[in-house]
Amino acid sequence: MDAQTFNARVATPTTRLIGALAIVSMAWVVIGGLIVTPKDVDQGDAVRIMYVHVPTAWVAYLAFIVTALASACWLLSRKHSMGFDRVAGASAEVGVIFMAMTLLSGSLWGRITWGSYWAWDPRLTTTSFLLVTYIGYLAVRGLGGSLEQRARRSAVIALLAVLEIPLVHFSVLMWRSLHQKASVLSGDGDIKMDGSMLTTLLVGVIGFTCTFAWLVMHRQRVLAMQDAMQMTQLDAALRERADESAGLK
Amino acid sequence: MDLTPRTSEVNAPLAPRKRNTKWGYVAVLVVIVVAGGTIVTKFLTSAIDYYCNVDEIGSRDGCEPGRRIRVQGTVEQGSLKSVNNSTNFVMIFNEKTIQVVYEGDPGGIFQECIPVVAQGRLVGDVFEATRIEVKHSNSYVADNTERLTKAEAQVCSPQAG
Repeated sequence: MDAQTFNARVATPTTRLIGALAIVSMAWVVIGGLIVTPKDVDQGDAVRIMYVHVPTAWVAYLAFIVTALASACWLLSRKHSMGFDRVAGASAEVGVIFMAMTLLSGSLWGRITWGSYWAWDPRLTTTSFLLVTYIGYLAVRGLGGSLEQRARRSAVIALLAVLEIPLVHFSVLMWRSLHQKASVLSGDGDIKMDGSMLTTLLVGVIGFTCTFAWLVMHRQRVLAMQDAMQMTQLDAALRERADESAGLK
Repeated sequence: MDLTPRTSEVNAPLAPRKRNTKWGYVAVLVVIVVAGGTIVTKFLTSAIDYYCNVDEIGSRDGCEPGRRIRVQGTVEQGSLKSVNNSTNFVMIFNEKTIQVVYEGDPGGIFQECIPVVAQGRLVGDVFEATRIEVKHSNSYVADNTERLTKAEAQVCSPQAG
């Protein structure tokens, strides 16, 4: 497959538009986060980590929810379209990357503000458990077998794993935690954040969400190619076996 | 399902490679199960004493004096002193106070009027901390001179946990 064919199959006007949106909003976040927004009165410049930490956490949640929805669609649909399974897999892969970024950025933020990289507090522990669960999900996807077998077992795991998200999100409310409670989605309608900080954070959420969408769309198309290649190899193997049998006769 | 022609020498090495890949994934799964188990165990162990408020010492289950606990409270204004590499301060919560001693500099954004979680043991009337973590709030306020002056003028009050 040459580069031109690859480009024709993977990139579309929609992905290009989403990609452009991602670039513009990410540029805004870099400028806004590093130059325009003020320091925090307590945390100083460390608050700027928030513009990466919060959006990556949001995108990781979103990715795992998309994985669960796509998995449910695969299980419930009559045709069991493999497209659903590929979206589920692609979304989980991207989600794992973003979740790891959340933990890494949070760890750096914690070192500067709390005074330690890590604490076994409810939010950090449940988040790391969520990450490990989805790494396991990806490992299960790679166990082999037919495409249907892969789709069925990973769909079941995805539907169970997504139940961890409310546990992670509400862990700071259910238990006493070192991690601060939500500032924007606090539930009381009171957003405890400076205006320019909030704007940059929201643009960051948009930017990272566009990046997520762009990555998933491309990745699921690459997965479709891999599946097609696997099926071609299977067909070739079947043909060879049939030829071998015919030859023996 | 291995459909590789049995007589083909060219394709023969494919089968063992697939088995190796499969065992690789199984090994990853085992590691993940062990890692998951470790995380849950650490969490449950840690969750038992994470954390007590100052006013709960001696009155809440798991917050008995003498055992190793984490205590949350606000660093009382005017109480912070550094003597011979030792940090001494008073932690306050719901009008109950406790004297805290920590060897070294707590790090982070540790300062007066900020909520902290101190991990250690109560020896007599003094809490000997081995680790101090700053528990910053979920409010993000722009740092500017006007607000800073206003904040400095205010007397800090214990924050609810």
